[in-house]
Amino acid sequence: MMYKTALATSVMMLSVGLAHAESTYRIGITQNNVGVDSYQTTYESAFEEAADKHGNVDVVVLDAGGDVARQIGQVRNLIQQRVDAIIIWPTNGQAVIPAIRQAHQAGIPVVVTNSKIAEAGLDYIAAFSGPDNVQQGASSAEMMCDALEGEGRIVQIAGQPGYTTAMERAQGFEEKLAEACPGVELVETQPADWNREKAQRVMENFLTKYDDIDGVYAGDDNMGVGALNAAKSAGRAEEIVFIGATNFAVGYEAIERGEYYGSIYQSPVDDAEAALQTALDVLAGEEVPKMNFFETPKITADNLAEFDKPVF
Amino acid sequence: MASVEQSKQAIMLNKKYKAGLLSFLSAQGILVFFLICMFAFSLFSEQFISQSNIMTVVRQASIIGIIAVGVTVVIIGGNLDLSVGSMLSFSTVLVVDLHDKIGPAGAIILMFALTLLIGAVNGFLVGFMRLNSLIVTLAMLSAIQGLVLIYSGGKNVDIANQSDTWFAFFGRGYVLGIAVPVILFALLAIVVQVVMSYTSYGRRIFAVGGNPAAAVYSGIRKNWCVFSTYLISAFCVACAALVLGSRVMGSQNNVGQGYELLVLAGIILGGTSLLGGAGSVWKTIIGVLILGFIQNGLLLLGYPYYTQWLVTWVIIILAVWLDLANKRKRLFTTHS
Repeated sequence: MMYKTALATSVMMLSVGLAHAESTYRIGITQNNVGVDSYQTTYESAFEEAADKHGNVDVVVLDAGGDVARQIGQVRNLIQQRVDAIIIWPTNGQAVIPAIRQAHQAGIPVVVTNSKIAEAGLDYIAAFSGPDNVQQGASSAEMMCDALEGEGRIVQIAGQPGYTTAMERAQGFEEKLAEACPGVELVETQPADWNREKAQRVMENFLTKYDDIDGVYAGDDNMGVGALNAAKSAGRAEEIVFIGATNFAVGYEAIERGEYYGSIYQSPVDDAEAALQTALDVLAGEEVPKMNFFETPKITADNLAEFDKPVF
Repeated sequence: MASVEQSKQAIMLNKKYKAGLLSFLSAQGILVFFLICMFAFSLFSEQFISQSNIMTVVRQASIIGIIAVGVTVVIIGGNLDLSVGSMLSFSTVLVVDLHDKIGPAGAIILMFALTLLIGAVNGFLVGFMRLNSLIVTLAMLSAIQGLVLIYSGGKNVDIANQSDTWFAFFGRGYVLGIAVPVILFALLAIVVQVVMSYTSYGRRIFAVGGNPAAAVYSGIRKNWCVFSTYLISAFCVACAALVLGSRVMGSQNNVGQGYELLVLAGIILGGTSLLGGAGSVWKTIIGVLILGFIQNGLLLLGYPYYTQWLVTWVIIILAVWLDLANKRKRLFTTHS
């Protein structure tokens, strides 16, 4: 598919591109790992759609397949092709910095999307566009505090160890909870790799270990629903409040059924459109804030109707 | 003088006692190790030995266990199957996705058929084309992962009406107070163990794995034997997918990733030789349960993720060492 896009792009460049060269931007994007999860897959198609809507944008869509070395190669390739801007979804926030610096030195603006890079690389990028995961963790902590009315014992099921998003959400959640809600005690955290089946196993063990659990915070809804499954099987779902992040379709439905207290609405479509818009703003020479966060509101049964059901 | 005699006797006795203990330890190595671990965990965590925890661990271990039963047969036949993790992803995504499209019954039948087809491809390449099983199934591991991504388009699949389908029975149901996955695991293990121990088919698989040349000279159709072991492995994967899909009521397309290693670990812990021709399903079950209890115990003690992995794999190396020591009749060896 990416070859097809690249081919289509080059054909377009040959036939139409030359005529409109002064007004057409060529933007290259290298994604982390399309196909491993629904979010990234939806992001990719949303990005292509958004680019189609802007008449004057040609995109080269590449996918690193989760491989840092391949992603660095792709960035070099895009520099060789002299694209106007590069958007990168880093496979690793540290390892991609040298490649980003090369693009910067070649005069090509770089926009980092979705997942942050390490501090050392910030000088070489034009902007970051994506969700504020620390803030998301904090919002989840606020919801947990509301749901438990400031008192209780909770457990946390975190995302993949070492992955920036997972660490930032856990950090935001833990800090906010300690600050705003000292009556709620986080008794234990275990990772489940964004995987529902693993989350289900971890939760089963938590249920054995603790006789009283009042709440569960999961790093995304996929894991949250796994925890809910485990609690339902053990007949203890009624007494536990479930709060997640990155609202998935299953999470949305669980909120609808009243089994799940709340989540954070994070749309891959917004994410993709924001990344493209940021790149276009940079190219147009506009003043763009370095950290460009898009809105990720809290979602509970009260305001569910205001949001479309996620398509992933 | 008497005291010297006495102390000599005491030393001899001590040596004899030590040698006896060592040989006992090396002979029963893994079982003793298991009991020590269980005892240690139960000291630190009072829930560990509780009935509900034991049932939870056995239920969690049954998915790996069901697959391990099939792979044990492949290994006894002298080959390997590393593709089971990807096959599990494929079969689970398939059965969950088809559930909403053609109904649970059709989904289950079609899933079993396609999983067996993949097993047949493995079996054909290894059994009839005589390709190296490590390479074939390693290649299949990636190829099937690709197939899953193409099929699912990279998206998660979920069963829409989760509370209203009899499909839930296989992963969440109970019969006489015992979880259905555990019953399926036990049934498969018993049937396969009986077939391997008491039928001529089972003896042929052992013969092919132990000494293929001799097996061929004694009139065994080796190709068909190897082919059939991959069908058994695929059938077990299909059963595991049924349990997994029903337990989670949805599937991610990387759900089985890394399971092949856990399956192998369970089999090795049970003492089945990777060289083929020896091994037993019972021992595999013990191996899989040890793995499950160790991970559960570490989690109950609150150890972080990385520690769990470290300890698990150190234990596997220890188990292999004890197994080898048992065969050598000594714990250490300084010459080859």
